Amino acid sequence: MIAETKKTPAARYGMSIDVDRCNGCGSCMVACAVENNVPPAASGATDRTGLTWIRVFRIDNGAEGSGRRSAFVPVLCQHCGKDAPCVSVCPQQAVDVDPATGIVGQMPERCLGCRYCMAACPYHARYFNWWDPTWPAGMEKTLNPDVAPRMRGVVEKCNFCHGRWHAAKAKAVANGKNEIDPADYIPACVEACPSGAIHFGKLNDPATETAQGARDPDSFRMLESLGTDPKIYYHSKKNWVREISSAPRPGLAKENARG
Amino acid sequence: MTNSRRDIFKFAGGAVAGALFTPAPWRLITDTALWSENWPGIPRPARGEIRAKFTNCALCPAGCAVRARCVGEQPVSLAGVHGGLCPFGLTGHHLPYHPARLKQGPIEEAKAAVRKRAPDGIAILDLNPGRTVSWTYRRAMASLQGLYLAPESQPVAYDLSAAKTVLSIGAPLLDGWGTPANVNAARQNFRLIQAEAVESRTAVLADEWIPLAPGTERAFAQEILGALQGERTSVVARELTADGSSFVLGDAPEIPEINRLLGAYGKIIVAPSEAPVPEPWKKSAAAITRLADVPDHSIGVLLIDESNAASYIPWHFIEPKLTGDNPLVVTFAATRGGYARHAQYALPIAVYPELTDDIAPAVDSIHPTFRISVPLVAPVVTPPAGLANPADFVGALAGVPASNALRERADAIHKSAEGAIVTYADGKETPVKDLTADAFWKSLNQGARWDRPPGLSSLVPAASRSTLRPAEPIESSADLPLIAIREPHNPALVSPLMTKLYQESGLRLAPNRVALNPDDARAAHVPNGARAVLQTRIGRCSVEVTVDPAVPPGAVQVGGSPGIQDVCGPAARVKVVPA
Repeated sequence: MIAETKKTPAARYGMSIDVDRCNGCGSCMVACAVENNVPPAASGATDRTGLTWIRVFRIDNGAEGSGRRSAFVPVLCQHCGKDAPCVSVCPQQAVDVDPATGIVGQMPERCLGCRYCMAACPYHARYFNWWDPTWPAGMEKTLNPDVAPRMRGVVEKCNFCHGRWHAAKAKAVANGKNEIDPADYIPACVEACPSGAIHFGKLNDPATETAQGARDPDSFRMLESLGTDPKIYYHSKKNWVREISSAPRPGLAKENARG
Repeated sequence: MTNSRRDIFKFAGGAVAGALFTPAPWRLITDTALWSENWPGIPRPARGEIRAKFTNCALCPAGCAVRARCVGEQPVSLAGVHGGLCPFGLTGHHLPYHPARLKQGPIEEAKAAVRKRAPDGIAILDLNPGRTVSWTYRRAMASLQGLYLAPESQPVAYDLSAAKTVLSIGAPLLDGWGTPANVNAARQNFRLIQAEAVESRTAVLADEWIPLAPGTERAFAQEILGALQGERTSVVARELTADGSSFVLGDAPEIPEINRLLGAYGKIIVAPSEAPVPEPWKKSAAAITRLADVPDHSIGVLLIDESNAASYIPWHFIEPKLTGDNPLVVTFAATRGGYARHAQYALPIAVYPELTDDIAPAVDSIHPTFRISVPLVAPVVTPPAGLANPADFVGALAGVPASNALRERADAIHKSAEGAIVTYADGKETPVKDLTADAFWKSLNQGARWDRPPGLSSLVPAASRSTLRPAEPIESSADLPLIAIREPHNPALVSPLMTKLYQESGLRLAPNRVALNPDDARAAHVPNGARAVLQTRIGRCSVEVTVDPAVPPGAVQVGGSPGIQDVCGPAARVKVVPA
């Protein structure tokens, strides 16, 4: 007898990040590193050569003196749509967009380290392993068994904690369900955020907080004019924050807009 | 048609050439990469049964509830039970393996030295007061006729939920000041005005940030006080008085008087209620003494408990209190970075999450709570080197039994039959009166929190003037052109993964770094990333420089390392010179 296969509607996982609630504590960054077995910084690592799958940037409105105002913006892989720039440039098919979840996956085992994807990514959300991963003696005992550490010479990036997705999927299957319970699949950064600034869920389910956040008039996506269809939505009531998302400096939005 | 041998060769050659234009060879390269990238140098995570353990984070008095995901007995990640954790708490399970951890010390030798000198003006400085072990220290000091020293003699608690407007003069209200879950829950109900020189993490999220000139925080507080006393006018003071439910946070000595005039005492600022304590302890405990109230040259033997210190008192405040004649300083510490630099004996202690300790009440907790930080791992440092247990060490000096103190305290709480216990595994709340003493103790050791509801607590308004702290005078000097702005206090031992924030992103200022405005950095001839020397009237210390346009001209933001704090008080005049 052939088992009946049920067709599960494709999910479109995404995030909504409330910039006005982020205080730049960095919990998301370290929670991500713990979850994904990202090693501590090598002695020579800098902000250009480090491994931070999610990085909180401090941005400002460009004013001088007392008019200067800042905001913290967590930037991770934006999980672009089916035309993700990193996918098309990879000669190794080490990057793909999962049609079932919309997650842009990275397979470090296939990666040759050419870094074309890093050059192609407009969000600088991909990181290269310049050093062998090392942990202080004894600390390797604290590694997450669901994620394999990567070696020197490969590129890595956020995958929405794919290990957690697998665990949630396995649990759903064990319970005879076809769909993952949203409470079982929450990326580490979302779980860690003390101020509740990050929400995660299916963008194609209008009932989720993420989808509602994405529809908010104050929400925006990074460099939207590039047409990459990112699945990370940001939210801010501050005009200058929204403006900077589409331009390198405030006031340049119109000049930089394309399409 | 006949096929010649030549045709076979042509077909084979064509097939090989054509194969180059198919994905097959590239796939072979992929497989080569796959083979080469699984080499034995990469650590392999341990496998085993996955289960959850619960505890309370002991790194600061917030004492956040923690769910640990464990492989067998080994925690592999920590998460908050009620809301997220701070980055220090999230990486707490790395601390036992920290390479900078103090792993051995002459415990018996130190004990003998203290016994020999004990009657000679003994004192203990408790940098994390309010715990059960603090009562052991107080009882021991009463027996030895010594002094029990704490940073504050009369701490206060703040009920943020009762506030409508908060003026914070440089206090890190949204950055580790209180319990993150409490502060975030209350945040939507009050207006936050942050007054400080730099746009801190709290200022970024404040409803209004008032940029002050560096070093003028006290003048700003005086201005508010003057306006409340009717001597002048101030928009901020008017705003504070408008809604009748506001208070001011900060270090300026005028602030208690401002809060008294605002009517915050008894309404928002209350005396912290403590969980019940066995009656005999209260009768035989030394009073809490502030270090500032101790006469100079009066302490011959100073014991310092740095275990999860909630604050750091710069050494130049402590040193004058020691006798000039060869004072003995013993510190219980996790690293060599703190008072160990000044002590004759630095004794290693257990660190979170391998230690068993209760957690002092948080600054924003207005009702009594009792939480135990239950060990998640066995101590990594084992005999013969061994770890010192400060409570046993101090208790043994005075003949005060300390090993069972937590259980005795739990029994006293149980005897009161008040409040309820919340177990984290199931979120269930059980009234204490429905539990036996053993069941209550068992619950506490499985990760739980005892609370007494506010309605039952006796909230006593704190004395407004007794919390006054003398401010350090602001120096004025031309040879020290910059004014120091200090980062909030951080735990002494932090996970190596914090390099993600300190080094790979610059999101937080590393403890050994200073941040300068580009103009000041240029004037001092120190480029970004350079090593430099921080000079003050008190001394000098080696630092690394970050050039940051967010730092206002004329100021230098300094990290929180003990070395920097030892030479650099609040609003100190400093100079940065190339190393």
